[in-house]
Amino acid sequence: MKRSLALFFVVFIAVACVAVPVWLIQPFSSQTARALEVAYTLRRWSPLVTVAALLVSLFLIARMWRGARWWGKGLLTTALVFVCASAWFARQNQYDWMFKPLAHVAYARADDASFVADDDMVLAVRNNGGAVAYPVRLLAYHHLVEDTVGETPVVSTY
Amino acid sequence: MWEATVDGRTLHFHVAGINNQNFIMRDDETGSWWQQATGECILGPLKGRRLKLSDHEELTFATWRRENPQGRVMRPDPAIAAAGKYAPANWEQRMSRMPVVTTTDGASEVFPPRTLVAGLTVGDASKAYPLDALRRQNPVIDKVGGVNVLLLVGEDGRSVRAFESSMDGRKLEFFLKPNALPLRVVDAETGSEWDFTGTATSGAFIGRQLRRLQVLEDYWFDWKTHHPDTGAYLLGER
Repeated sequence: MKRSLALFFVVFIAVACVAVPVWLIQPFSSQTARALEVAYTLRRWSPLVTVAALLVSLFLIARMWRGARWWGKGLLTTALVFVCASAWFARQNQYDWMFKPLAHVAYARADDASFVADDDMVLAVRNNGGAVAYPVRLLAYHHLVEDTVGETPVVSTY
Repeated sequence: MWEATVDGRTLHFHVAGINNQNFIMRDDETGSWWQQATGECILGPLKGRRLKLSDHEELTFATWRRENPQGRVMRPDPAIAAAGKYAPANWEQRMSRMPVVTTTDGASEVFPPRTLVAGLTVGDASKAYPLDALRRQNPVIDKVGGVNVLLLVGEDGRSVRAFESSMDGRKLEFFLKPNALPLRVVDAETGSEWDFTGTATSGAFIGRQLRRLQVLEDYWFDWKTHHPDTGAYLLGER
């Protein structure tokens, strides 16, 4: 009984430390400085915490497996799946899924850029003789694009 | 639009979250979180540091291409374009109808939250100019943080630029030259004509250039969140 309580607790911790930040920083809700700090701290430590939770739950499950009935084994397996999923999710950035970052950004010459309309807005950067236009409709999806303009590394954001 | 180098180290960023409808970026090098609108590091090892703003502006493609025929343009990613993920042409109108969640006191709101404004910061002073007001009163002459400023809307009716409106210590008054294409403004003091880049194309100041000021286009609610002491330009103020 003590072991199953401990296991439940470990699973809860693992799931909470990946689920809480997602809930705190969702779009179209209002964030406080405190909520951001909690989200940041959880995001920072969740890769470590979830792996620790995985090790502890493996240890507990190994101890409980023999004496368990078929449904008990089912529950133990479910618990393990939750902890594994948390450990995996802690290593993912779900915003990279939503706004796929570009590993290699391609560029066209100003005269060849038929994919932009004359009245489309562009974010224009000039530096040391370099001039680059980032169409707003593209940036509105990617949100940020890394580049080097006139030998200066920049991050174009929208 | 930021320079990506802090203390000689180039940082690489990913989107990491949303803070009151303005996104947070995380740098791969230290894991710190940065606020996109201000370039300020809000959490993590680099907390309190600021990215340097890089010179940028929002223009229509036609205006940009005319001034930068040698420039390069970011291409859409074929896979993402094929999936229909990029914003549609009427994106600006759509965004204007999106909900707003920031905690502002409705009664004291000068403009509706989704009003598109051109934001100016001079020294410690900030001021927001609704694009509609700029279009109607083009050019706008004003004073921000003790500096005389000139705001111009290009002939495309959408691109906005701001300049210091003094030359050699003289404050200049500007008027739109009627029916000029491309756009020209004339200063009342010398009758020189100036183009959209702030360069005098005729008159006593020919070849001289007004000092450019950084314009940040934003929604009023977002601008006000990050510039709580901002002024607001009301039509017919002058």
